[in-house]
Amino acid sequence: MTRPAERGPRADDEARRAVLEDVRRHLRASPAASASSRKDEGVGAAEPEALASGPALVERFREAVEGVAGHCVIVGDVAAAVRAVREVLDRHRPGRIAVSDAPLARRVLEAAGTDAEIVGEADTASLFHVDVGITTAQWAIAETGTLVLDGDAERHRFASLLPPVHVALVSAADVRLTIGSVLAELARRRPEDLSRCVTFITGPSRTSDIELTLAIGVHGPGALHVIVIGGAREG
Amino acid sequence: MSAGTPAAAGGSLREAAVHALGDAQLGAALRTLATVIGGRRRSAIEDVGNWEELRERARAIKDETLAHLDTYLEAFGANAERAGARVHWARDAHEACAIVLDLLRARGAARVVKSKSMATEEIHLNAALEAEGIHPVESDLGEWIVQLAGEAPSHIVVPAIHKSRGEIGALFSARLGIPLTDDVADLTRTARRVLREQFAAAEAGISGVNFGVAETGTILVLENEGNARLTTSVPRMHVALMGIEKVVPRLADLEVFLTLLPRSGTGQRLTAYQSLITGTKRRARDEGPEEVHVVLLDNGRSRLLRDPLTRQALACIRCGACLNACPVYRQIGGHAYGAVYPGPIGAVLTPQLSGLTTGVELPFASSLCAACRDVCPVKIDIPALLLRLRAEVVEGTPAGTAGQRGPARAARMERLAFRAFAWVARGRRRYEWAGRLARVGQRAFVRGGRIGAVSGLLGRVVPPLGAWTAERDLRPLAPRAFRDLWREGTVPEDTPRAGARR
Repeated sequence: MTRPAERGPRADDEARRAVLEDVRRHLRASPAASASSRKDEGVGAAEPEALASGPALVERFREAVEGVAGHCVIVGDVAAAVRAVREVLDRHRPGRIAVSDAPLARRVLEAAGTDAEIVGEADTASLFHVDVGITTAQWAIAETGTLVLDGDAERHRFASLLPPVHVALVSAADVRLTIGSVLAELARRRPEDLSRCVTFITGPSRTSDIELTLAIGVHGPGALHVIVIGGAREG
Repeated sequence: MSAGTPAAAGGSLREAAVHALGDAQLGAALRTLATVIGGRRRSAIEDVGNWEELRERARAIKDETLAHLDTYLEAFGANAERAGARVHWARDAHEACAIVLDLLRARGAARVVKSKSMATEEIHLNAALEAEGIHPVESDLGEWIVQLAGEAPSHIVVPAIHKSRGEIGALFSARLGIPLTDDVADLTRTARRVLREQFAAAEAGISGVNFGVAETGTILVLENEGNARLTTSVPRMHVALMGIEKVVPRLADLEVFLTLLPRSGTGQRLTAYQSLITGTKRRARDEGPEEVHVVLLDNGRSRLLRDPLTRQALACIRCGACLNACPVYRQIGGHAYGAVYPGPIGAVLTPQLSGLTTGVELPFASSLCAACRDVCPVKIDIPALLLRLRAEVVEGTPAGTAGQRGPARAARMERLAFRAFAWVARGRRRYEWAGRLARVGQRAFVRGGRIGAVSGLLGRVVPPLGAWTAERDLRPLAPRAFRDLWREGTVPEDTPRAGARR
């Protein structure tokens, strides 16, 4: 393989013009296309009103999370969330815990109490050696059991990815039914305000690459615990 | 492709297929693929009430985008750069590799991790990097397995489907020095442990792109393992390779594709992770790479825009459903195709992207059953494309016959055969005499009322006859033609009537 030439900004510009010109040239050579009809309705089939909000929606989210091998509990208030977190920590017995910069996550962890070393705004390297990561999520999607993490709103890109256990707190008021509704909220922002990294998380990490046999927990967390706050039917 | 297979040695599709058919373990793996993934896909679709409508909508979005591809690409580029990414444009594979190499060198990045990207396979990026002393480590489990084995992926979505757990265990033991095991959980844990070190030390991450959003300059990367999230967030530099056909107009358009793609590809409602990356981080202390580069790749795609029929191949969202449904792929697997993209979509893309210089046999390896068209989430009419490509190859466009002995000779023989048939069929007397000759001539081959193997000269001169009768018997022509009986006014007693039982 010959050594490729070094490129400068002129080469970049030339390539850009060339590719666009090729595209235009080939489009011009094609017969005029018939106008495609675009419908802009929502994607999902019409949902009954009851599922648009409220306890039924949260319950649907919980079922969907459990359906993809995640764990999900719905609690009434922050105090109950603290108890839920304590249970998770008792189960996993972490030596080191990473927590995001969300005030709720820090408050809940502190109240839960733990002997583990707590790693706050750590560098990436140390986050590789953490046992549990605690974050919040900005939205939850009920139809798929998905958490939506806005990387500009909270520092949780690595805390939700590197530790083998991820604990996510989400408010019942932030549960939406469809992927579309979350995308719509993101799209409503001004371009300069659009988050630089939004991550959709549906269950723990997994693969079926070996003989199509499911294995949970590959490069991302193998255990996902979701705690929904404020959605308990008791109110 | 597997070292030592006919396809790897540049052999023909037929040789590769015969080799694959003799591989019992491959056969078992492909049967599992067809039944398991097929079943998962069907269940996943059931929970969508308006699947057909979604396919229409997805195809409409793709058609609209492709019809104005230049506009959408420009918008994508401008918006991505406004958010801090650098967008590069590559006319072909060579240029794309050069761009990536320059970026790595400028950064001084020698340790590179990759997440799954068929586009990087297409441009042979790994080989280009290796030639310059950079060893990129594949992080997707299936891709890493085939990389360790020195093979090419055999499926778009499940790259190592052709390998049994025993083979993978032996591979890990030999290459990584771990105790021999075929336990899937153990093997996965090993992969996690070994690759984690690679992620931590990586100076650059190279990924593909599933969709690029023109309106915002966002790239979307879908996965299940978490390796793409790691590849695109841990290293200081992220390079994303994106085919120009991957752009969609609006963020909202992602919904329909996120509904169709995971269900079609793996039978999931959603894969475990989707990363929507727009530009670079706002502040130095934020998490994520310092530099994000998107390399837009043409490499033969723009030429397909000329014709609405060929243009639809660019709608492909790389779900792999057509591979899983294809009776040919199910028998021979991905390596036999000898191309980066196997299966039905590969049979269409490979010859087209290469300008009919590669893979010209592939469009012929199909019974046109249209199972692929039925499962395609964006309704690509693959059979129509196969027929078009066959015509182009047979008509012997200069590019198509260059250096290809097999298809060119076959094309000449076929043309001769059809010309001969046309001559015979155009004259009634000629046609009748041909029938009489055949009735006499066939007697040499008829045994016990059937024509068995037609070997020897006749089988070679008329290859379909030889090939057919190697596996199946033929019924001989009746001793007397119906038209003769009709002329005489007699129809034999024992002629079966319609509906009569024997």
